[in-house]
Amino acid sequence: MSLSGDFADMAKPALQGYQLWADTVNAHGGLLGRKVDLKVVDDASNPTQAVTNYENLISADKVNLVFGPFSSLLTIPTVTVAHRFGYAFIEPSGAAPQVFSLHLNDVFLAQPAPIISAGDAFANYILSLPKALQPKTAAYPSADDPFTQAIVDVIEARLQAAGIKTVYSTVYSTETVDLSPVVTRIVAAKPDLLVSGTGTADSVAEVKGMIQAHFTPKFVFFTNGPNDPTFTGQVGAANANGIFSTGDWFPEAKTAGNAAFEQAYVAKYGGTAADIDPSAAEAYACGQLLQLVAQRFGNVNNATIISALHHGSWPTVEGNLSWDKDGSPLGSDLVVQWVGGKLLPVYPSADALATPIAKPAWTG
Amino acid sequence: MHLFVQAVIVGILFGGVYALIASGQAMIFGVTRTINFAQAILAILCSFLSFTLFTDFGIDPFLSILILIPAMFALGYAIYVLLLRQLSRWSAELGLLVLYGLGIGIQGVLDFVYGTSTRLITPSYANNSWTVAGFQIPEVRFFAFVLAVAVLAALQVIRQRTRLGRALRATTQNPVAARLLGVDVEQVSAIGMGLGVAAAGAAGPLFGMILSFNGNTQYDLLSKLLSIAVLGGMLSMPGTIVAAVILGVVESVVAAMISPDWSSFSFLVVLFAVLIVRPQGLFGRQLRGAL
Repeated sequence: MSLSGDFADMAKPALQGYQLWADTVNAHGGLLGRKVDLKVVDDASNPTQAVTNYENLISADKVNLVFGPFSSLLTIPTVTVAHRFGYAFIEPSGAAPQVFSLHLNDVFLAQPAPIISAGDAFANYILSLPKALQPKTAAYPSADDPFTQAIVDVIEARLQAAGIKTVYSTVYSTETVDLSPVVTRIVAAKPDLLVSGTGTADSVAEVKGMIQAHFTPKFVFFTNGPNDPTFTGQVGAANANGIFSTGDWFPEAKTAGNAAFEQAYVAKYGGTAADIDPSAAEAYACGQLLQLVAQRFGNVNNATIISALHHGSWPTVEGNLSWDKDGSPLGSDLVVQWVGGKLLPVYPSADALATPIAKPAWTG
Repeated sequence: MHLFVQAVIVGILFGGVYALIASGQAMIFGVTRTINFAQAILAILCSFLSFTLFTDFGIDPFLSILILIPAMFALGYAIYVLLLRQLSRWSAELGLLVLYGLGIGIQGVLDFVYGTSTRLITPSYANNSWTVAGFQIPEVRFFAFVLAVAVLAALQVIRQRTRLGRALRATTQNPVAARLLGVDVEQVSAIGMGLGVAAAGAAGPLFGMILSFNGNTQYDLLSKLLSIAVLGGMLSMPGTIVAAVILGVVESVVAAMISPDWSSFSFLVVLFAVLIVRPQGLFGRQLRGAL
């Protein structure tokens, strides 16, 4: 896991999710009677170090099982290490298309859907609106990141094909610090819809820039950022209202073991269920999958895990999971939106906990 | 055209903050002949400190500058006395390495204390802006620019109108001759280092109100400071200020008109061009004449 480097803070909830699962399973007698002992090593947010770590864990430490690291960037190189040694690779956050384009049968993303699905879900929502309410123009800035860019690309391709005119599109380096030029271009283009491939810092910078420019698009979608527990604190709850994003887990979810997960999380780490980062649920779900294989098959050797998870549906806090032969989840993502101070699923309507709202003007 | 002018406005306003940090670096180079590779992280350190003063104690980021300037002056003075003075007797390169190591060390401490998530100082007026002739002037950027100009003006007054300033300039021009004329070069150098770091201290809160930052931000900022130093002339304060504003505008215009990806590269293009055409920088020769 990334205990240091750029991903350290973002990876922390995932590590908490892993540790919470280990504590929970150990409190109930362990996995098939054996205590789960997590060996956590720091990859320093560096792909090379991550590869070295997995090689050492498997070949030198001879661990029984491995879980995935945080982020697609670190999952892409490490999944091949696990494959070389025949290890199952249940992973919480490597959701970029590049993970599945490796065509490895031993990777399993513990989320309901690959990230492309998040783009499809939002495009479906926009195209489900009556023609008169659909945006006429759209802007698509994105950081050069396999996670965010994949989502933005899908949305742009689908909406452009549907006749929604692209008025601004750019990809900028993830190292870009000052986003004011990007905001300047967005404001100059005056899009009805802003689809932005962002992390938290970028999304906050874009909101602030648009507030300063007194420009509110009719629809605002950020790939990441709005789902960060600190987002509303940085932009203000009123400004967050109406912003769309992607989501795979919510405190209100009625998924398998979610109530127990939230209770245990709050007991161990404090706060409330609303403070839980979805990354914690994703990592916890990795452990749940292992537990389910153990319960159904009576062992957790890697061959059994790989074979088992390719069949049937597996209930976790992330929902009922199943995968194609490349480890890409077969479910679909939800469109989420800040509505009345809560980030809630709003589309598809069958899974929605709220009705989508129009984006109110920024409140300053 | 509107887009271009808006980008120029944004570039000029933030160029003031660059100028403040870079002028401190130029002052330090003048008295120590060592490029302060820690200048960027010292500014970021002050962004973090201002963040803490604001979030935990409710002290406005602009007011926090009044606390940070003397604190950073003392830190700069101590860095010179405890590290550079000893090492400069052996070689200037050692001082450079020590400052580079100091920068990495400070970043490690910041990562440990604050984590690696980006922060942004967001006072209640952070999102305010004026519309002037159809152009947006963000208030924070405007006041940051005004304050940066005020601090730079104060530094210039110190340099040009005081005994200390004359000693600083004499030490910058020729430390041996200055010593022969009775200047306490060691003391003046320590004060120069203190003033240079204090400039970073003044700029840190301004930077932190405009851009998100974490410890890693130092590398992007440092590369820009080095480009500014080369363009302006390593020893020239006016050159540094002009170079900072020019590069701020170039960065902003390139990002807005072409792509943000090319904006950082534009700094390096200017750097290479200056090194080839005018290696002494914009004001390098003029400074020697003035002194």
